[in-house]
Amino acid sequence: MPIIEVENLTKKFGSYVAVNHLNFSVDEGEVFGLLGPNGAGKTTTVRMLAGLISSSEGSARVKGYVINSDSLKVRETVGILTENPSLYEKLTAYENMDFFAQAYGLTEPTKKNQRIKEMLEFFGLWERRNDKVGTFSKGMKQKLAIARALVHKPSVIFLDEPTSGLDPESSKEVRDLIAQLSHQEKSTILLCTHHLEDAEKLCSRVMIINKGTSVIVGTPDGLRNKISGTPTVEVTLETVNSKLVEAVKNVSEVKQVTIDEESCTLTATIQNIQLGTPKIVKSLVEAGGLILGVKVVRPSLEEAYLKLIKEEQK
Amino acid sequence: MRLEKAKLVFSKDWLEIKRNWQVILPIVIVPLMISVFIPVILTLIPRVVSGSEADLGGFVPLVQNLPLPVQDQLAAMSELQIMIYVMAIYFFAPFFLIIPLMASSVIASDSFAGEKERKTIEGLLATPISDSELLFGKMLVSFIPSMLVTIISFVVYTIIFDVLSFGLFNGMLLLPSLDWILLIFGLAPTVALASIGLTVIISAKVKGFREAQQISVILLLPILGLVFGQISGALIFGPAVIAVLAALFVALDFVVFRIGVKMFKREEILSQLS
Repeated sequence: MPIIEVENLTKKFGSYVAVNHLNFSVDEGEVFGLLGPNGAGKTTTVRMLAGLISSSEGSARVKGYVINSDSLKVRETVGILTENPSLYEKLTAYENMDFFAQAYGLTEPTKKNQRIKEMLEFFGLWERRNDKVGTFSKGMKQKLAIARALVHKPSVIFLDEPTSGLDPESSKEVRDLIAQLSHQEKSTILLCTHHLEDAEKLCSRVMIINKGTSVIVGTPDGLRNKISGTPTVEVTLETVNSKLVEAVKNVSEVKQVTIDEESCTLTATIQNIQLGTPKIVKSLVEAGGLILGVKVVRPSLEEAYLKLIKEEQK
Repeated sequence: MRLEKAKLVFSKDWLEIKRNWQVILPIVIVPLMISVFIPVILTLIPRVVSGSEADLGGFVPLVQNLPLPVQDQLAAMSELQIMIYVMAIYFFAPFFLIIPLMASSVIASDSFAGEKERKTIEGLLATPISDSELLFGKMLVSFIPSMLVTIISFVVYTIIFDVLSFGLFNGMLLLPSLDWILLIFGLAPTVALASIGLTVIISAKVKGFREAQQISVILLLPILGLVFGQISGALIFGPAVIAVLAALFVALDFVVFRIGVKMFKREEILSQLS
């Protein structure tokens, strides 16, 4: 059942169209990615869906609340990690959490303190709770900002560029925490990113947008296959001969076979990886081939994404 | 409007301000210096410079426009006593309308503009705190410290002046008078609220703190008009004048707040972020 429903959502700033007739829906508990280059309209879309700005045309519902007319209710319902961490540097981590917990209506002291502790412990910041945020590293600030977005147990979470500006180690840590969180909290997450690794590792479905317009929607696997063709299986053998090539060509799932005699590699393009790969291995062994290695090669989401954006820009 | 939400915004901002001595020091020190030095200069300089032969000179129009009972009281005094009395009670009274404006200007200018500069505004605007609650909370955090500073300055001024003038006026304590009490507790808060409201609106509209502060200086002009009105004798701050002005400013406070809520646009604020 969709918890976010977006219909023809459009945002214009004067004559500039930042978001152009977007249509999509996100199911309860899903991690949905909004992928696109800088200036694609991701942040504007999130700001509209979080009840921060109104749409120029079209409509959207978040947990049943209409974003333009029930913006206060929408803001109560969602948790948001904004583009900047939006933390008060002169306040401690605990004071920041306390302010936002109360702002989101978590006022009962025992429940509030328990939730703040739970979140700070989850993000590994409990020991630093009494330190001013100004003394935190970028990664710690980002973790605290995510903790803040979750403090009121929102059923819908918007994460705008959660790993932006972080070093690879902190990026991985934040990504792992989000993955863990989506299982633990069972919230619906809309993730805005231009880091394909985030989308690939976290999202069940992604929508690529460019210049405010939706380019494609689908699962990361589906997008890869749809855009960059079918996957291939690379088999490294002790020697390659025509008998082995013929044996592979006879496998029903195989569409095309190429060989590289220098590296003794046989490459087969196949329709279905799960069904085709064991059959290829079996046919090679039966034909007397000595297999040194088998590798499934899939086009990366990055390749698919870059191809799409390039086509769009043309 | 949920007052607890406005109080929450106030508490958060106050916690930040308390830890920033660059903000606290000018707010506290300048008014306190004024309230210490003015009564000292007022009571000591005329005695040193002119002994008992003081010349009323430029105070004549102010003295002539004072209420008749006050003029009767002055008739029994020497020119030195009249000069100190007039300066302490009437001449410097309207300056205490400027103190809350001065003290609040830094905090009110920083209210939204500072959050924009420090890039904390988006998180705040994303909370389910309504426009009126945000505005009221931001106004409170400028209003309460500035009025505290004004009241403390008034108490310091009163004590120092009474101590120094005790002998000269034969044991009579001139302050606090009814006019001063009405001015500090009636007029000053209403004037301060109007000025703070306008400054907070400006702060939400402009990009940065400095811009907000520069524009808000203009708000001092009408108050300076009241100060010069009293000095020139054109407008004497008696109980009736103070009551009328306070009533006018209360009405203005409501109008400013309503306009502020109407003009508060989250979208416009977010569009100013780089």
